This record gives sequence, structure tokens and C-alpha cells, in this order.
Amino acid sequence: MSLAAAAPAGLGEAPSRGQTALGLVAILLLWELAARALAGAYLLAGPAEVAAYLGQNAGLMGRALAETLRNAAAGFVLGNLAAVALAALALIVPRAERAVAALALVVFCLPLVATGPILRVVFGPGAGPQVALAALAVYFTTLVPLLVGLRAAPATWFDLVASYGRGRGAALVHVRAMAALPYLFAGLQIAAPAAILGAMVGEFTGAERGMGVLAIQAMRALDVEATWALATLAAATSILAYAALGALGRALAPEAPPALLAPPPATEGARRRWSDRAVHAVVVTALALALWQATPWLLGLNPFFAKGPGDIWAFLVSGPGAAEHRATLGTALGETALYAVPGYLAGLALGAGLAMALVLAPALAAVAMPVAVALRSVPIVTTAPLLVLLLGRGAVGTTVIVAVMVFFPTFVACLHGLRQAPGQALDVADSFAAGRLARLVHMQVPAMLPAFFAAARMAVPAAVLAVTVVEWLATGRGLGALMALSASLSDYGTLWSCVVLVAVLSALGYAAVGAAERRVLSVYAAEQLAR
Amino acid sequence: MIRRPMTRRGVLAAGGATLALPALPRLARAQSPATLQLSWLHSVQFAGSYIAQERGLWADSGLDVSLSPGGPNAPVEPPVISGDALVGISAADYTAAAVEQGAPFKILMVAMQKNPFVIASLPGNPVDVPADLQGKRLGMALANRPVLEALCTLNDVDIDAIEMVPTQYSAAPLLNGEVDCLLCWETDLPVAMAIQGVESRTMLMADFGYSVHSQTYIASEESIANRRDELVALLRGEAQGWDAYRADTEAAAALTVEKFPDLGLDLETQELQAARQVPLMFSDLTDASGFGWWTDDTVAANVETLALLGRTVSPDLWDRSILEEVHAG
Repeated sequence: MSLAAAAPAGLGEAPSRGQTALGLVAILLLWELAARALAGAYLLAGPAEVAAYLGQNAGLMGRALAETLRNAAAGFVLGNLAAVALAALALIVPRAERAVAALALVVFCLPLVATGPILRVVFGPGAGPQVALAALAVYFTTLVPLLVGLRAAPATWFDLVASYGRGRGAALVHVRAMAALPYLFAGLQIAAPAAILGAMVGEFTGAERGMGVLAIQAMRALDVEATWALATLAAATSILAYAALGALGRALAPEAPPALLAPPPATEGARRRWSDRAVHAVVVTALALALWQATPWLLGLNPFFAKGPGDIWAFLVSGPGAAEHRATLGTALGETALYAVPGYLAGLALGAGLAMALVLAPALAAVAMPVAVALRSVPIVTTAPLLVLLLGRGAVGTTVIVAVMVFFPTFVACLHGLRQAPGQALDVADSFAAGRLARLVHMQVPAMLPAFFAAARMAVPAAVLAVTVVEWLATGRGLGALMALSASLSDYGTLWSCVVLVAVLSALGYAAVGAAERRVLSVYAAEQLAR
Repeated sequence: MIRRPMTRRGVLAAGGATLALPALPRLARAQSPATLQLSWLHSVQFAGSYIAQERGLWADSGLDVSLSPGGPNAPVEPPVISGDALVGISAADYTAAAVEQGAPFKILMVAMQKNPFVIASLPGNPVDVPADLQGKRLGMALANRPVLEALCTLNDVDIDAIEMVPTQYSAAPLLNGEVDCLLCWETDLPVAMAIQGVESRTMLMADFGYSVHSQTYIASEESIANRRDELVALLRGEAQGWDAYRADTEAAAALTVEKFPDLGLDLETQELQAARQVPLMFSDLTDASGFGWWTDDTVAANVETLALLGRTVSPDLWDRSILEEVHAG
């Protein structure tokens, strides 16, 4: 399978197969050299050792891969179906869109460390938690680009449907669905590695086989070859899934729209009043609280570990020791923010920067694409502890891992966005003999902005996931470690407080990016603000 | 009791489904299902249970036991309090914490009489007694700070003289020279180092006053009241399984490796681990009174150490009535 398939289509001069092969060889060489330099440190195994290990343990690794992949695939399908259903609901009942998106976000922001054990109790023995965590890891990253894509259609197309006397249903099938396909596939591609990561973390809740199980054993046994063989296998599988979905997307999705994007209808899309936003916030909060109150009751969860809103209010505000509890959470939050925020910003800058660099110098894609896909596809649960050893326990290690998690979805979204530059506009640029840089600055970057912001919003929960997983598995600080500790000590008050804090702050961060987005898009991509 | 050959790869290769079934079709009578929630992934750490299952020790008493594996994100208490698991494998400190939070648990049997926590170090820079910790960099999970505090208090060591380095659970930081010693279990990281050809030393904290029962069998008060016969049958099978384990730890390791082919367990590692956990599980006390036994004295020592860990515990946390039935029958 050539990695050229993973390279973006529509960028014109995609790298040739030869260039991609050269890039791959360079990467393998660098990896091998790094492994030799670190030999004896029990940190990094090179490609030769990894290949040997995979060869010697083909049966074991194959069975583990099959198990994890089966669960990841089931979660991928279920999660993406849920995303499509939610997007359809938002389209059919436009009033519900904001509430649906907000609730979906809150559920997506629930930290794995806390949901895993609950899912295990709900599903009992078997693959339930693995599938559920894989589905939870993907549905939101598909929903967001889908909501963007369903609106990214030229007004003339809607006019055409209307001129045939057809209604909203026909517009959905013939216009919106077609316009959304490239966005859907961008979401699906990002979802593939996330599903595998979700399935592996699901295995941490108690499983008898799978790559996550083997990763835990390898880590404890100082088996560096096995650790990196598992990371390589997971990454290679993710890359293949990513490439296959890309190829499928190109086969199904039409060309980028050849016309200018739809402007917002004159009567709608005006800036929302603050009172409207306040009502929305109150409605979403009330719905989230109701959901929280009802879920343990519906699932019959024992109140010993399933705490409700009232319990947490008492724990943090009105009950004994509330001030102490708040102080513990505050300290952990400070530690977490210290790594998450710089990592998030660095990841965004790198993602958008690399996407733009690829437009200017397409040959770079030969090296950049495989590295970008591989970096994101290596499941952090296997490598985070080793990366932290490698990069240091201080700010650098954690920040780099967060940046990697944020970088890749941003990069992919920006590449897709850059391709959405209207053909007519690019033709104008060509007729003026404008250079690549001018085209990029004046045509492609504005076209990229909706996708960039969609990615920047999505990256908020991704950054929080990364930082809490690293804290849980490697550094032992911050909210991630506090959640793991409180779960082991049955301190479910602290655990649920962490869950609420993480979910609320992720959602607020997401909303803050959304506010910045509205200001920028009102200038550059007004059709995205239409309702 | 019929001794069966240990090789049963063919049956086991059929996968997880076999775990839920008795080893072979036995008696026609109905088997009542019960789950034993383990505290970690399958390994020789729970080999006594595998022997009980393979030899039909539970099936003989009408019990169909499923062994549910644990993991890094699988607390034992929720399935036990939910009733999904009849018995869970915990440790006195975790159980005490859960009881403090309102869970009605009792400790019924104690597999690890001696707590498995050790300070592992390298022979060139050894930690043989707690005082040696002073001036050393100790790699540990920050969550285990109370454990270190208790050890220091018990042995008059100045905890401020120890540099705590938060590390993940791996021997790599010790072998890299990032730390001088590790807080870990007697039965995992030192075994991993030995298999890698690295000689290490361990200082067992239990030998320096750290008395916390580990690998304890817990059940809810509700189960103790309503499912007493099943509890007795389950723990009797465990006790017999562990006695068989002690008689031949290599066979137990071989059984473990064969029973879980998808875990890629290394036979040599499992054998070494199996041998190293024997002194933690068996003593003059268990020889005299039976597997899993405890006395009022050992409970008193636990209550004292738990107090140093910030847990206020009453000796009532231990309930010996089931264990007395196990060893009476």
C-alpha cells in the first residue's frame, strides 16, 4: 500500500510514488539511528528490532490486532452512525442544532479515565467498554465537520433545486449531502486512529486479549521491542485505514465546488444577542444536568460510585470539607493547564503552518504526510510513558504529546479547507498570473478558515484527552493522575468533580474558540454563520 | 478430586467462552454462576484460581466461577458493590478507603500475608534498610506518598531526605540512572529486571513494619448474609487451588501460560514470579491454620499501619466466619 494514497488529492502536484518512498526511507533511517543512539536505555526499539519482533510473534500480534481492530471497527461504525443521526436531527430541527452540538460536546469531553470503569460495570465482561469508548472517541470528530459541510454549498445550487420546485428534502439529498461528503470523509479519516486508541483504552478496564493488554504487559516487562512493535502495528493500521478512507472519499466525493460559496441570507445570520446566548447556555446546562441525574438511574448504577449533581454540589460547595476539596481540584487543574495550553497552541500553529507549507512546496508532502499521519496514529497509551522518559518529565514531554494530538486533526482539516478555494476565484488568480503565495494568502487561506476553526474547536477536547492520559500513565500529576488515584481509593466525590471540571472547561474552551471563530468568519466565510 | 493433565490448549484455544464454562462437561446438576473480580490482568498472580477452575474444584461444589480480569483502569469495588462480582480481590488499604466512603465490604480471606511493596535498587547502590533511603532519588507514583510516609514513620527515617521522582510503573528509570531506587512490587519489576539479565536487590517493606494485607478477598455484607454457601464454596476452591499452587509453582506457571495464549506470557517470567510470591502468601501461620488465615494480632498490626496511611479502621473490617467454614469443611 503506497502512502501516496494518503497524500491529499486536489493539491495539484502531489508527491510522486518515488518521492514518497524516499521520504519513508529517510524516516526509517532516522528512527533506526535514534534507536541505536539510545541502545541500552530501554526506551526505543529501532525498525529492525521491531520487524524482527513482529516476525517472531506474528501469531500473537495478529490475534491481538484482530481483537482490537474488531472492537475499533464496531465503535467506528456505531460512533459515526450516531454522528450522522445527530447531524440529521440538527438539520431537520434547526432550532435543536446548537443544543445537540453542545450536549454532544459535553459527552465527548467526559474523560476516559472516569468513563472506562463505569462502562465496565454497565456492560459486564466482554468487549462492551472497548466498543463504547471507540464510538465515544469518534462521533464528535465526525459530527463537527459534518455540520460545517452540510452548510458549505453554493447558493446557486439551492436556487437550482428550488427552480425545479423541489423542497428541503431534495436540497438535502442533492446539494447538502454532496457538499458535506468531503467534510464527512475528513472527519472519518481523523476518526480512524481515534477509534483504535479508544478500543485500546477500553482494554485497560479489564480484558483478556488485545493490543492494549499486550502494551501494559510489555511496559512492565521492560520489553521495549514489544512496546514499539505494538505502537508500530497500531500506527500502520491507522495509516492504512486513513489512506483507504481517503481513497474512498476521493472516489465518492465530487470536485470542490466550482462556484463561490453561498452568502448568508439577508434576513438571517445577524450576530446573536447576548440574551439569546444566555438562554442557550441555561438550556444546555439544564439538559446536561438532567442527563447526568437520569443516566445512573436508568442504568441502575450503585450510588456508591455513581454520584449525581446533588452529591457533587455537596462535595464542592455545601458539604463538609468542600473548601479542601476545591483546593485539591484547583491545584490539579493548575498543573494540567500548565501543559495543556501551550501544547494546544503549538499544535494548532504547527497544523495550519504545515498545511500551508505543503501548498507552497508540494514536494514536502512526501516526508510530511507519512510523519504527520504516523505521529498521530501511534497510540499515546503505548508510547506516552516512553516519550515522557525520552523528552523529560517537565513541561517539554507533556507539551509535545499534547501538540502532536492537536496537530494532526488541524493539519488534515486545513488541507481539506485549502482545497475548498472556489475554482472561479483561483481562475481569476491564474489569469493575473498570481504566484503560489498570492493564491495562498488571498484565496486559499480564507477558504481554509472554516475548517481551521472547526479543527481548533475539536482540538480542545483532544488536548484535554492527551494531557490527562499522559498525567494518568506517565507523570502522575494534574487532573489525570487525580482521577486515577481517586478511582483506586473509591473517592468518587473527587472523581466526579474532576469529570465535571474537565467536561465544563473543555466545553468552555470550545465555546471561546467558537466566539473567536464567529468574529473571523463574519468577514471571511459568512455562509458558515447562516442559520 | 481428580488430577487432570495440565495441557488443554485445544479446549482453551476456543477463546474466552471457555472461561465461562466448567473445564469439562461434568455433572448434570445446575451450576450457580459467580464472578471473581481479579485486581489485575491474568497472570500467575492468580494461578491458584486457575488451578481451582481447571481441576473442577468449584464445579464439584455446584459453582460456575467466571474469572474477570482487572487492569490499570478497572477498580475492583464497583463490580463487587453492584453485585456483578460475588468476590473481588483488593487490598486492606483500598478496602479501608472504600468502607470509609460508605461501602459495606468485609475482608474474608488474605492471600498475601505480607505486603508485596519493596524498594528495589541495584547492587552497586543498594537500599537494604529504610535508613539507606536517605539521600537517594526514589522513583514512585506520587499517589504512593502515604506508603513512603508510613515506612519512614515506622523506621524513624527523615522523609525530607528522600528525593521523590514521579515515574511511571517501569524499571526503565532505575536502569537509566534517572533514579537510585524504585517503589514497586516484589513480584513484577524486579522479575522483569532479572529476565533482562539485570541483578537487583529488594527491601521488603513488610519486613520493616509495613503491615497491610494484600490480595485480600472482599465481599459485600449483603452477599455474606444471602450467598453464604457460594462464598464458602468459592473461597474453599481458592484455598485448595493455592495449596496445589504451592506444591508445584512451575506447573502453575505453565498452566497460566497455556490458559491465556493471547496474553503472550513468558514462561520464565511467570515461573520466577510464581516462586517469588510464595514467601508472601505462605507462612507458619497458614501452615498451622490454612491458606488465607489471619489472627487478631496480624489484624491489629494492619490497623496500626493503616492509621499511618490516614485510614481509621476497626478490626470488624475482617470477618473470619466464612474462612472458618472453609477450613472446617
